[in-house]
Order: sequence, then structure tokens, then C-alpha cells
Amino acid sequence: MFGFSERSISNILFWITRKKWLILSFLLSVSFFYFPTPDGLSSEGHRTLIIVLVALSLIVSETIPLPAVAMLILIMEVVLGVDTPDGVASSFMSDAVLFIMGSLMLAVSIVHQGLDKRLALLVITITGNKTWRIVLGFVTISALLSSFIGEHTVGAMMLPVALALIRNAGLSTGKATKLSSVLLFSIAYGCAIGSIGTPSGGGRNAIMIGYLAEFGMAEISYLDWIKMTYPMLLLEIPIVSLILWKTFTPSQKTMDSSVRKLKVQVAKTGKINANQLMAIGIFTLVFLGWIFFSPTFGLGIVALSGVFLYLSFGLINWKEINRNTNWGVILLFGSAISLGIQMKETGAAFWVAGQTLTYLEIIFQDVEIVRWFVSVVVAGLLTNLLSSAATVAVLGPIVLDMGGNPVITGFMTSIASAFAYLTVVASPTCMIIHSTGLITSADYFKAGWKLFIISVFLLLVVSLFYWPTLSL
Amino acid sequence: MKILIGISSKKFSEPTLDVGMRIASTLNSSTTILDVGKKVNEFSYKDVSIANELMESWDLDRPGVDVLEWAYNYLQSENYITKSSIDNSFSKNLLIDKGIGRSEVFLKGAAVTNLSLILRNGNIIEELRDEVQSFNYDLTIIGGSGRRRMAHDLVQYIDSSIFVVNNFNRKQTYRILLAVNDSKGNKKAVKFAVRVAQAFNIEVDIVSISNKEKISEKFHSASLRAEKMMRRTGVKSKVRSIEGDLVNTLVDAARDNHIIIMGTSSQSPISKFFLGSKPLAVMESCNCPMVIVK
Repeated sequence: MFGFSERSISNILFWITRKKWLILSFLLSVSFFYFPTPDGLSSEGHRTLIIVLVALSLIVSETIPLPAVAMLILIMEVVLGVDTPDGVASSFMSDAVLFIMGSLMLAVSIVHQGLDKRLALLVITITGNKTWRIVLGFVTISALLSSFIGEHTVGAMMLPVALALIRNAGLSTGKATKLSSVLLFSIAYGCAIGSIGTPSGGGRNAIMIGYLAEFGMAEISYLDWIKMTYPMLLLEIPIVSLILWKTFTPSQKTMDSSVRKLKVQVAKTGKINANQLMAIGIFTLVFLGWIFFSPTFGLGIVALSGVFLYLSFGLINWKEINRNTNWGVILLFGSAISLGIQMKETGAAFWVAGQTLTYLEIIFQDVEIVRWFVSVVVAGLLTNLLSSAATVAVLGPIVLDMGGNPVITGFMTSIASAFAYLTVVASPTCMIIHSTGLITSADYFKAGWKLFIISVFLLLVVSLFYWPTLSL
Repeated sequence: MKILIGISSKKFSEPTLDVGMRIASTLNSSTTILDVGKKVNEFSYKDVSIANELMESWDLDRPGVDVLEWAYNYLQSENYITKSSIDNSFSKNLLIDKGIGRSEVFLKGAAVTNLSLILRNGNIIEELRDEVQSFNYDLTIIGGSGRRRMAHDLVQYIDSSIFVVNNFNRKQTYRILLAVNDSKGNKKAVKFAVRVAQAFNIEVDIVSISNKEKISEKFHSASLRAEKMMRRTGVKSKVRSIEGDLVNTLVDAARDNHIIIMGTSSQSPISKFFLGSKPLAVMESCNCPMVIVK
């Protein structure tokens, strides 16, 4: 037919079935383009919202690679006349993107030092051999560490520790048990609650700081962030541990021989070496740099300085950083931030915020509740569907345009986007534990819904009673 | 002949392995056992890959290796394969990246010729199709449990013949139900039926089904040619002509004690895409193993 072989036609049909979301997005964007622009929305704002819809549908459906979505956002911004090529390029790169890029590279550098064995020893030395203490230890260490070096890094480093303990307990690492569930979820949920603790806990925190600065609403320092969020993190540690223990109580109440075997295994690797000490030292310097110098130099530049030191001291080579850094995510974050800025500048965010307030006020009767509902409940639910960073990138400009104190609304959105308890796609750590085959999609709901509700409540309490005591 | 056996869990894969290895042993084929693991989204794949690398440093197997290790041990326990006399010297299971998202598994102390264990991650249809198209397999064998949609898509989009091991019971005595007609693919289907009959040492029912009261001359001669081929290869067969609708008649005749073998449809891919085809309709309704020969 038309000179095509049967195989070519079959290939085309296969492509169509696999890329139906891409085709649908294209058709929808064309039809929305010809829709009359709604009242109160500028023509540029109308076109920006088309890009948002296309980007969201492609991110959720994963029909094309993420870097392709990132490029499509930039292409559409220029082709649809939302901004000039130079304007798009400058909105694409910001300190927030440099910070995300630097943090991902720092994470690769830290993992490369083999510190996971040290981490294992630290956990079991603190916790001893009682299983409930090990669970509490896993949640605590995961939460505290992920607040500084990023949840995905800690998740990757803690996973083998949990699997080694499971194997040492005489259980198969290929078969799900309550012990495997409680240990793996204590990593994933520990990392999730930890990621709110500092700007380096997750890319979304950097995106929100970037928006607040870019829109001239507030300059949030690393230390300001810690003051706002750390109390909530600390409160969540015992709550998460308790809920996980009650939901997945394992029959093994002590793990004596398992812990002993793990100690022997770690002891074989010898004492901490000079490179590992230097790696910890450089990260400590970076951390101090974030606290003391980020208001002047920016979070991104401090993070890149750390990467520079790792490379210069030969603790890692560029090939390794290049191989293990997720460049696609960096491109997507850059594009999403660019899109967020366009949403603000074209008035699209303001229009969506206004529409949301108008319609939801009919239901809730109070603008404060509407603002809380969108920035906490909607952000929390979207993060479980989209991914936390994409949620903040898209929802950020809208909630910041909903009135009230933008710092409070921005923080609530950022924190709620860490409530990644319900689905596999919600965060990289959820995906890491799911990839073991020991956790099914349904398992996420077992403890996840309880944590989601408690976290929403806790955030409300913190925002009502603690934040007003701070002068932000 | 190159055979691909797709498995995804220990629970449902024994019949698939049984069928695949019986055919592979008879034909002395090169066989690949493929496990397609969970799809990792793009936000997380680098993190998952780092976690997997760390697991190796802890002497822990990556997810999926355990399924292939189980499959290897199962084949050994059922005497489908014999370890070579010289074991390899790996101290642990090894996963070698072979590019395009596939890794070959080398098991500790295990070495055998003509068998590869491959691990992929992603969408099962896309990965199976990519494996078949990239390495030119002649036959793809998959389980039938809850996978009608998958088998349906594979029949549409891959070039190899497909064996759907639907409700296969090792204790059951099967016969082959070979549907013959005057299509171009008929000869291949007959040849394949001979191979399967030899592999399982079973008899063949050659059926020609037509809506018309009197079976056409072309169908009749196709049946005779098939019967002649069976006779020459020493396979016992019976010829039957049945009046009726192809799909329902074949499904009724097959019940659960036949292996249906039929050629692929000669319709164009576009027609198959929109209207479906007879082999696809049989596959969706039958309650027994089935082969669509391409």
C-alpha cells in the first residue's frame, strides 16, 4: 500500500498505538488554539496554558522521553509566540536549575565513595538488634540524611542495607514479607518526610525558592528554610515509624543474627578511608556554604563549587558523573521553571488562580480554606500522580498568585508535594523500593493513606501555630 | 531456529518453559529466556540504576536475576538442560550489559550452550517486540494467563511465529488441531505442526473449515498436502472437513485438549488493525494452547 512494505505499515501502526497520547495532545493543543480566548486571559496566557496541558499530559503518560518533553516546552514557547528565543533561553537557566544540577552531581559523587557500608554500620550501631528500633533507625537516618543530600541518593544507599538485613534473616530477597515491607517503606517514607527539611532535600524546594525570588515575593535562605520545615520533619519521624510498624508488624521481633552478619560483612571492608573522609569533609563545606554564603553566591553556585572540589581532588571522574546524572530531569526542571515564569508573566497563573478561587469559594465559602485546599490537598494528590517537582513547577505560580502570604502558601505547596506516599511514581525513592519486586502498587496505600491524612493535619498545625512565631 | 521464551514470574512460567524447551530440544534450537522486569519511570531510572549497582557491591542480585536463576534451575531439574562439565568460575551471579536496555545473566557455577538468559526492564510488549525484531527470533513463546491483550498485540506487531501457552497441563494428552486453508502461510503452518507433533510425540487432526456446505477444491487439496507431509515425517494424522464458522468451529473442536496451530492471516496490517483477523479471534476465545505461524 502506497509503496510501503507490510512491515513498515505494521511499524507505523505500532507507533500509533504506543504514541496515542502524543497524537491526542497534538490534536487537543490545535483545537484549544482555535478556541476563543476566555475573558480576563491574555492571548499569550491562553497559549501558555495550552503548553501546560500538553506538557502535563506527556509527563503523566510517559509517551515520549522526558528530555523530549523539555524540548517541546521550549519549542512551543517560541513557536506560539509566548516569548522571544532569547527570553525563553534566559528563563530556562536560573540558580534553581544550577542548584538541582549541582545537587544531582553531588549525590553521584557521594554514592561513588562507597559510604553505604559506613551508613549500614551507623544504623545498626545506633539501633541494636530489636526490629522496631531498626525501623525507627531507618526512618530517622533516611529522614535526616535525605534532608541534606537528597532523597533519591539516600534511598539508593539504604536499599542494599535493608536487603542485606532481609537476606541475613534467612528470608529470600525475591519474596515479599512483612519484614521486607516495613524495612523498605521505612526508607521510602523516611526519605519523603526528610526531603522537606532543607532546600537540598528535593528539587521542588529549589524550584519554589526560585519562584519566590523571581516573582519578587521573598528571598529565602537555606537557614530560613530549615527554620520553617525542620520541626515538622522531626515530628513526623516517630509518627511514620509507628504507622509503619502497626501496618506491617513483622513476626521477627529481633534480628540478632541478621545484624551480627551485617556487622561482619561491613567489617570486611575495613576502616573508613581517606577518600571517604574527604568526601564527607567536602559535603560539610558545601552544607556550610549553603548556610552562610548562599544569600550572596546562590545555592546553585555553592553546589557546583562542591562538585568542582570532588572533581579536582580526584574523588570522582567526569565520566562517572556524566553516566549517573539524570540530565533529562535537569532539562525538564529547566523547562518547567521557564514555563512557570511564562505563566506568571503572561497572566495565565493569575487567571487560573482567579478561576480556582471563584469556583472553589462556592464550595468552601472561605478564601483561606480554598488557598489551603489547593496548596496542600491538591499539591499532595498531584504529587502522587505527576512527581513532586513537576507538581511544584506547574502549581507554584498559580498558588503564589492566589493572594495571602506567598511565603506561607509557597512553603505549604512545597511541603505537601513531599507527601509522596500513595503511588510508585510519586518519588524516585518509591520507585527504587518498587523496583525490587518486593513492593506492589497496592502496598503503597496500606500505610500511605494514613500518613497522607496525618501529614496534612500536621502541616495545618505547623502553619497555624508555629510559622506565625517566625518573622518571615 | 531461534526461540524466545518470555517469562515474568515464577508462579505462572513453568508451562511456558516446559513447552518452549520441549520444542527447543527437538529442534536443537538456540533458546533465549527473557524476563521483562518492572518499568522504571524516567524521573527515577538513574537512581534505580545506582541502587542496583550498590546492590551488586553487597553481593545482592538485581531484581529479575532471581526469576532467571529459578528458570535455569527448573530446566535443570526437569532435565531440559545439562550443565557443561566445566563450570564457570564466577563467584556470584553476573549481569553483563549488552546495550539497548538488555543485560545477559551469567549464573554462578552455571554454564550451558545454546541457552541465554536475558533481563530487560520496561513495557512488556515494547521489550518483547524489540527483542524479537533486533535478534530475528523465529518463534516467541509466552504464557497465556491473563495476557490475551499482550498476545493480541504481539501477534499484530512482531515478525516471529507466536506460541501462546494457554492453560497447558503437563498431565493432559494433547492432539494438534491444524487448521488448513488455501492461504500463502498454510505450508509454514503445516511444517510447524510436524515439528510440534514430533516434540510432544502426539497426533495431528487436520481440519479444513468452510461456511459452505461443500468444501472447496483448494481447501481439500491443502488438507491432502498436509496429510502427505505428516505421513512422510512419520506423524500420525486424521483429516476432517467441517462446515461452519471458522472461529467458533475451531474453538469448539479444540476444547481444552488440543494445541491449535494455524497460519497468520493474509489480510493487510491496516485491515487487521481495524477489523481484527480470524487467528486473533480464535486466540481470544480458545481455552487451550495455540500457535500462530508467520
